[in-house]
Amino acid sequence: MNFEGIQQGWMARKLRNSIFLVLCSLFVSAGTALAADVQMTIDRELISLLDRAVLKVEFINASGKALDIPPVDGLKIQYQGQSSETRIVNMKRTSKVIHTYIITPSKVGDYTIGPVTAHYKGGEKELSAQLRVIKPADDKEAQEISELMYSEITSDRDAPHVHEPFNLTLKVFIRDGVQIDGNFALRGGMPENGMDGELQWRVTGRDRAEIDGSIFTVHTLTATAKTLTAGTFTFQPQVQMNVIIPRQNRRSYGFDDPFFGDFFGRQETRPFVLDCNKLEVDVRAVPMAGRPESFTGGVGIFDFDVEVGPKQVKAGEPITIKTRIRGEGNLSQITPPTIEESHEFKLYDARTVATDNPNEVKFEQVLIPKSDSVTNVPAISFSYFNTKTTDFRTIKQGPFPISVEAVPQQTAQVIATVPSTIQQETKILGRDIVYLKPMPTVWSRTTELPWYRKITFQALLALPALLLLLVSGSTARRNRLSNNVALARRQQAPKAARKQVQLAEQALRKRDEAAFYEALWNAMAEYFGHRLNLAPGEVSMQAVLKSFPAEQAAIETLFNSVEQRRYGIKPDRSNSKDEMKALLNQLTTTLKKCERIKL
Amino acid sequence: MRWIKNIIVALLLSSFSVQAQDESFRKAQTAYDDGRYAEAILLYDSLLKDGLNNPEIHYNLGNACFKDSDLPKAILHYRKAWYDLPRDPDIVANLHFALNAAGAIEHSPGFAERILFTLSYQEWILVATAGYLLLSFLLLLIIISKRSRRLLFKLCLIPGLLILLSTFGWLQWRQLQANPEWVVSKTEATALFGPVDGSTAHFKLPIGALVQQSNIDPKGWIEVEYDGKKGWLKNEYITPVSP
Repeated sequence: MNFEGIQQGWMARKLRNSIFLVLCSLFVSAGTALAADVQMTIDRELISLLDRAVLKVEFINASGKALDIPPVDGLKIQYQGQSSETRIVNMKRTSKVIHTYIITPSKVGDYTIGPVTAHYKGGEKELSAQLRVIKPADDKEAQEISELMYSEITSDRDAPHVHEPFNLTLKVFIRDGVQIDGNFALRGGMPENGMDGELQWRVTGRDRAEIDGSIFTVHTLTATAKTLTAGTFTFQPQVQMNVIIPRQNRRSYGFDDPFFGDFFGRQETRPFVLDCNKLEVDVRAVPMAGRPESFTGGVGIFDFDVEVGPKQVKAGEPITIKTRIRGEGNLSQITPPTIEESHEFKLYDARTVATDNPNEVKFEQVLIPKSDSVTNVPAISFSYFNTKTTDFRTIKQGPFPISVEAVPQQTAQVIATVPSTIQQETKILGRDIVYLKPMPTVWSRTTELPWYRKITFQALLALPALLLLLVSGSTARRNRLSNNVALARRQQAPKAARKQVQLAEQALRKRDEAAFYEALWNAMAEYFGHRLNLAPGEVSMQAVLKSFPAEQAAIETLFNSVEQRRYGIKPDRSNSKDEMKALLNQLTTTLKKCERIKL
Repeated sequence: MRWIKNIIVALLLSSFSVQAQDESFRKAQTAYDDGRYAEAILLYDSLLKDGLNNPEIHYNLGNACFKDSDLPKAILHYRKAWYDLPRDPDIVANLHFALNAAGAIEHSPGFAERILFTLSYQEWILVATAGYLLLSFLLLLIIISKRSRRLLFKLCLIPGLLILLSTFGWLQWRQLQANPEWVVSKTEATALFGPVDGSTAHFKLPIGALVQQSNIDPKGWIEVEYDGKKGWLKNEYITPVSP
């Protein structure tokens, strides 16, 4: 065994011993990790009213489930989740399963969390923790969170009607001294059914108010609600916001007051969720009793105007009736007022006209007097439900006097003469439908695939694209070859050689030695000439060998032999036919090899 | 030899079937001429049930239904016929007439919509195919010929525009398939503001009105658009028409 072998063996033994030692230490440390325990710790036992504490239940060297910590009046205890950690210190392994709880106080006081019994491997233990919550240093009175921050929701209407818009106001009261970032988010507490769209809350005000001797900043949020159905609608959203408080850490400079904050004045934001009072709004249905015939769904307080024009027309000419409803209420849901029909005129359906004013809705309706007997446009009534007086009101406009001039032969136009104000084209139809159609020449079936879904059609569609591809490919190739002579000659080389080899074979069969060797020479000259892009006179053994050094022996033999035979020099003892065959074979083999070589 | 027999039997059977269809169509026409509209409806309906789908059947059935005072069904079949032959003046006139008779407001299409509904779904595919073939041919010429390439490139705009236009036309018809049309088939159809029972009435729909679906609720409510207004209807009041 040499020195290197001895050294390798020593290294291998050392590695094996190290692994053994590590494994032993792991076993030993596992053996020492036997003492199970459970502990309850709280990260800070003294916090301010706006602060929060972290409570941990740690199962040491044991596993355990999260504890149901009994509720404590004045504290909100929220389970956050489970984590675990393992440590090996001085060959001792300690593993922990930690359950974390966030404790948010809602009033000041001294609290005991627990006792709660924790079960773990090997026993059980009663756990408890102490927490002291104090008020902010600059606040002499606040004892509870609700005295620092609270929210209220109100409605401007106690009992609105269906479709009647009513305003909801949500006020967030923040006591002076408590800082928030000004962003509010409303969570839940909205009716699930029957609302007309989602409520769009917007901040509409920020005031200061004195409440019970304390100053509050009042943030006002408003939304307009509208219901589709009658019934009781409950609103009790939660307001989520961020309170800015001084960063709490161990190095507090307050004597006994975490509110004193950090020396460097650093701050952090804490999310708070404020509960709101429950607001119940009884939405009443629009009564059926006393509902006038001209009621078209309007709920609110409205005004109604009508314009008629032109007032002097010929029979058959259109008169436009423009109606406008203004006011506050469900304008978008009001349908046009109806006009009493008569055989004396043709009345078209009303159309809504766009308007820029959000507090009004406009309609246009066309009336065509059939004869000069029409003297006025009948009165138009608009009925709506007045939400202030809670009764139906009807506004009547008209009748509107008009003057109609008679026109002979006017009665020819019937049914479908559509005036230009409604539709641009005028169609005059007959009094009856057009007669039946003749039998179709070909019956089409629903089960049949339409022609454009048939595979043959789709395959045929692919043909022009393929043809295009082929032609463009070949054209591109042709262009490339015409632009690149060397490449074109390179591609021509095997073909040219093949032609000469065929001539050589013919000459061999005819035993025409001169023609045979001439053909062999031409084969070599044309192949290498094209392949190496050489002029006919430039093809020489040296030029060829420069490009194909791997085939040196064969090329030299071929060139020398063929050249000698071409000039009549013959070997002493040889059968000329066998030699010719051998040369031909060698030529074809060599050309094939050269063809495979990349230059 | 067996396959020859099979082909002959199949041809004979199909010819008998075609003869039966011709006979039914003729009978229906005679019944219509004699004023037996209910019988004509039955015969045209039987042709449709046999799987035939010619616009002529729909149109004639629409006529028979109109004469039999079944306006919603008449409008439904006129509309179905119109999907295949949107430029047919008879279909357009009768549909217009039936809608007027029903007191329904006819949707007045915009300029683009009117243009795109000039051709049927199949016709737009045909136009697109023609455009594609022409474009392929012109591109071939561009590749092959070395002269007047600029002119050929300019000519390519024609099939390009044809393909673009037919794409819009195709999309328009696809839109109609995605948001199908319905015919109000029951009286007292009132569109509500929401897909909730007890929701307030929005607008009334005359029987025979042609409405377009704009939304659907899984509880059997369909939001329909009629005369520029949208409202929710229970699907029991309407019958689907779209292709």
